Amino acid sequence: MTVTTTNIPSTTKASNGIKGDVSQEITAPVRAHWMRRLLRDRAAFLALLTLTIVILGAIFAPMLATHDPASNSRSVMTPPAWMAMGKAEHWLGTDGQGRDIYSRLLYGARLTLLIGFLAVGLGGFFGSLLGLLSAFNEKIDPWIMRTMDVLLSFPAILLALALVAVMGQGIVPIVIALGISSIPDCARVARGIAIGVMKQEFIEAGRAVGLSNLQLFNRYLVRNAISSIMIFISLRFGQTILIGATLSFLGLGARPPASELGMMASQGRDFLLFAPHIAVIPSILIFIIVLSANVAGDALRDVLDPRLQA
Amino acid sequence: MTLTPLKRTGFGVAAAFALALPAAAQELTIIRAQDSNHYDPPRTTAQSGAEIIFMMSDTIVGLAEDMKTIEPLLASSWDVSDDALTYTFKIRDDVSFCDGKAMTAEDVAWSLNRWQDPETKSPVRWRMGDVKSITALDATTVVYELNAPHSELLYQLAQSFGSIIDKDTFEALGKDFGVTGFNGTGPFCWESWTPRDKVVLTRHEAYNWGPANYENAGPAQVEKVTWQIVPEAATRTVALLTGQGDISPYVPFIGYSTLRASPNIKVIKSENAFWTNYMGFKITKDLVGDVKVRQAINLAVNQEAMAEDLFFGEVEPAYSYVSSGALDYDTSLDDSLLKYDPERAAALLDEAGWILNSDGKREKDGKVMEPLTITFTGEWQQTSEAVQADLLKVGIELQIEPMDSTVYWGKSATDEFEMYVMGYPYISAGDALNLYFRSANIPTPNRMNWSDPETDELLVTGSQATNETDRAAAYAKVMQKVHDSAVWLPIYHRPMQIGYSTKLAPFVAHNIYGAGLYKGLQLAFTE
Amino acid sequence: MISAVLHRLALSVPVLLGVLLFGFLLVQIVPGDPAMVVAGPTATADVVAAIREEMGLDRPVLVQFWSYLQRMAVGDLGRSMISNKSVTAELGAAIWPTLELMVGAMIWSVPVGVAMGTLAAVVRGSFIDRSIMAMSVAGVSLPIFFISLMAIQFLGVKWQIFPFIGRPGPWYTAEGFMALFLPALSLGLILIGPVARMTRSSVLEVLKLDHVRTARAKGLSETRVILAHGLRNALIPVVTLIGLQVGYLLGGAVVTETIFSWPGLGRLAVGAIMSSDFTVAQGTIMIFALGFITVNLVVDILYSLLDPRVRK
Repeated sequence: MTVTTTNIPSTTKASNGIKGDVSQEITAPVRAHWMRRLLRDRAAFLALLTLTIVILGAIFAPMLATHDPASNSRSVMTPPAWMAMGKAEHWLGTDGQGRDIYSRLLYGARLTLLIGFLAVGLGGFFGSLLGLLSAFNEKIDPWIMRTMDVLLSFPAILLALALVAVMGQGIVPIVIALGISSIPDCARVARGIAIGVMKQEFIEAGRAVGLSNLQLFNRYLVRNAISSIMIFISLRFGQTILIGATLSFLGLGARPPASELGMMASQGRDFLLFAPHIAVIPSILIFIIVLSANVAGDALRDVLDPRLQA
Repeated sequence: MTLTPLKRTGFGVAAAFALALPAAAQELTIIRAQDSNHYDPPRTTAQSGAEIIFMMSDTIVGLAEDMKTIEPLLASSWDVSDDALTYTFKIRDDVSFCDGKAMTAEDVAWSLNRWQDPETKSPVRWRMGDVKSITALDATTVVYELNAPHSELLYQLAQSFGSIIDKDTFEALGKDFGVTGFNGTGPFCWESWTPRDKVVLTRHEAYNWGPANYENAGPAQVEKVTWQIVPEAATRTVALLTGQGDISPYVPFIGYSTLRASPNIKVIKSENAFWTNYMGFKITKDLVGDVKVRQAINLAVNQEAMAEDLFFGEVEPAYSYVSSGALDYDTSLDDSLLKYDPERAAALLDEAGWILNSDGKREKDGKVMEPLTITFTGEWQQTSEAVQADLLKVGIELQIEPMDSTVYWGKSATDEFEMYVMGYPYISAGDALNLYFRSANIPTPNRMNWSDPETDELLVTGSQATNETDRAAAYAKVMQKVHDSAVWLPIYHRPMQIGYSTKLAPFVAHNIYGAGLYKGLQLAFTE
Repeated sequence: MISAVLHRLALSVPVLLGVLLFGFLLVQIVPGDPAMVVAGPTATADVVAAIREEMGLDRPVLVQFWSYLQRMAVGDLGRSMISNKSVTAELGAAIWPTLELMVGAMIWSVPVGVAMGTLAAVVRGSFIDRSIMAMSVAGVSLPIFFISLMAIQFLGVKWQIFPFIGRPGPWYTAEGFMALFLPALSLGLILIGPVARMTRSSVLEVLKLDHVRTARAKGLSETRVILAHGLRNALIPVVTLIGLQVGYLLGGAVVTETIFSWPGLGRLAVGAIMSSDFTVAQGTIMIFALGFITVNLVVDILYSLLDPRVRK
């Protein structure tokens, strides 16, 4: 168990040869350099760089955009500037309503990333909470796990469809649906990790010393499990963005005239034969974001806990 | 040599590589976008239901492509009494159902009585007029008696709702009629229906009683027809181009120019296109209660630019509520129509007390002009967004709430919005006016909440008129009234356009209720 | 093993009940109005009310729930509120195309994925390994709709090799097979990546294990070592992964079925939820849950077959 905490009480130092103890010695130097190791991996570096660029682009969209993403113009379906009939004014072209694609991409990335962060955050938080509680309290454990099973029976997309049907179109039902879909996996992982941690001697030692359940929970469980849970969350980020974009593609999600990348791709469907760039460009951006997230997430996991390698 | 399954598949694959298989020349594939709920004539009001019902069954009278001439169909002739209360139809004696059974006046009377039976819960019962009785005097005579004249009865009887079906089959299938089976007298017979996927029809060999205006009165010239659902608009265009479909009346506007440019495809257009898309106002709501505001909104929207940009020039920008070619359209209306004039719009808003505030939005008594419109997702969403952009230029901030169609229907009957979108087919001005402007039809389909006793009176006069002049005069007055009150924002009139493969013989497009292929008798492969 | 399976089955029952309840509750709060859908836009309010009464929608929720349970108990899934077609018939017609699609997707993507993963593990660290891993990550990052649209654009429209509209027939007919090709190809592509990665890592794990080293020491060729000893154990987590991926595949099937007009369960579910067709929506949710439970069960069984430690 890779544990990146240094707050283990001195009572455990006496017990040599125990996994917790050994990993404590190993992780101290690893922890200090994990950031450097991460950046040394070229692929991960590129991925993080790309993600940072996209995130910055999204944050500074109002300043970077050349047009109002919602304003129509009469130059519809203009191809990108490097193609015949392209215009310098719209370097990535315009969509079916004459709206500038580059500007819409910036604002669209905002929404897409926002949905991803919120959903993963939501799912990760509640999932971890449930998982940790479940591991810690044997009475409610089977109930929580059965509920997780029920949730797992629903493919995320169908859950989102049903929620949108109930709550109407918008970002909120998408975020909730994606968050809920992430909960079972997060809960399971958190529970598994927590159980592993709990088996370790310092928990018993802590109990022996007389610490209450809550104190144990706070001091050891949460801290020890956090890094692994974070790895898991970072791995889910890419997946969540993808499903979010797919849901927007199916027609759920943000309301017009807002642009979300999946929705832009969907609007471009009708023009695929005549102006493919309208659907292709946002799809490629989705691909870039998800790819970077996945590569970075993989690298993060490799660096923080090589034994989790899959 | 016996073919092992593998070899058979191999040969099959090789054969399928030639996508155009000549052996299937007798099978026609028609591509469309939506399915109907089911195929029970009096209960199905969807265009996607009508187009199939016209092929599978017949009505007492038919309608010619000019949308004005009534043609004999199941009735070879008819008489109207002087007081216009009694219609006597002479029914043909050589008609049979798909299962071979002979059709008589009994079946006609039964089907029509079923249509008007409250138990059937037909949403379009009102089209029959104020019926006193419908009886079959003998095997070839049906008497249709009214309590009050119905000036457009024959037009309504030509619609798919009045299709004649077999009573025995209906009683045998019950709820499954129009779902798992059907028995009509049409040029094609029901073979199967996979909901949301396809309907398969086969030729009715005995058919030879087609409408009198058709060159070919039957039987049909193709053996099998498959109506295939393709929800993706671009895919429908491509389906025609790649030969996976032979005909489609459902090509997206952007596709027509490509189709016309293709040597394998022809596009025909019917000028008698009576399908209008519009946005309606809930005139009982504060924000749009003032007629000046509604007029201003009409003036601020540039329908012509929308027709060019959004609809690729394939539609006619609409300023009137019905197309100018429709029966009883009054041309004196043209002078008062509200066209694109944003300056006048701004002036009207000022007059109405809605002044531009510091944010560039119209404000009055502390309220900002932010009307809400509900709309369908898809093409209507784009249209709403274009209207939104136009209105922004005069300081009105239109809010848009798109929703899926079935949620939309429920919502549109409430009062929780200022504007809504709608498109509809009609055969005449009277048809349209009676549908939407009767106060009895509030809250739906009269979603504007238009309630005016004079309108109601005039509509009754028109629908009970015994001659064309009176009818036209009454309807003209109603049209002037509602146009003056600017209860709608018309967007476009949609022509009927059909793309079809050059493998088919040329034909003329129909326009009845949007069913461009009508009975399908003119569809044939050229060899 | 039998007891383990029975135990699993027993645990599935409350799960199924939970799904049933969830399904009923979910479609009850849908704001759509099937009565208006059936009546159409030109109906007057009184007709709509009459139709609503006919559909039983005006009864109190508890009454509706009770009749729902009664019907479920005898396996009567009711009729579609929109088309009046029997739900069982609709589901029956839609299951087969979806199965064809999912099996079609898995039948090529799983072997390919396993092969790629194994290859990558064997030549670990080489260029081939890195390329395969790069392709896997890329495959997992591509949006499903994009893959489908590109497949149509190139293989369907430009080069006109395959049809892509609807399902003309079952997979064993010529036209059916050709029509299945593109959708199965698109859907399978999303599975290759995870399968390859999982295979690679578990093969690597296994190659380090004692009994494999023993086999090597005995002088067996590397290939035999991998195939006979390594692969079997390596496949355990892969089998689990496939089980988990079925749900994701189903979600992907929804998009694929929409784009290719493929008349399967995914499209049926979307259409039903969107059109407030309560009965069909409930039916499809039940089928998905049943399917998922079944897949999990099968995965458990396979797991116990493959892993001798689990067997009694």
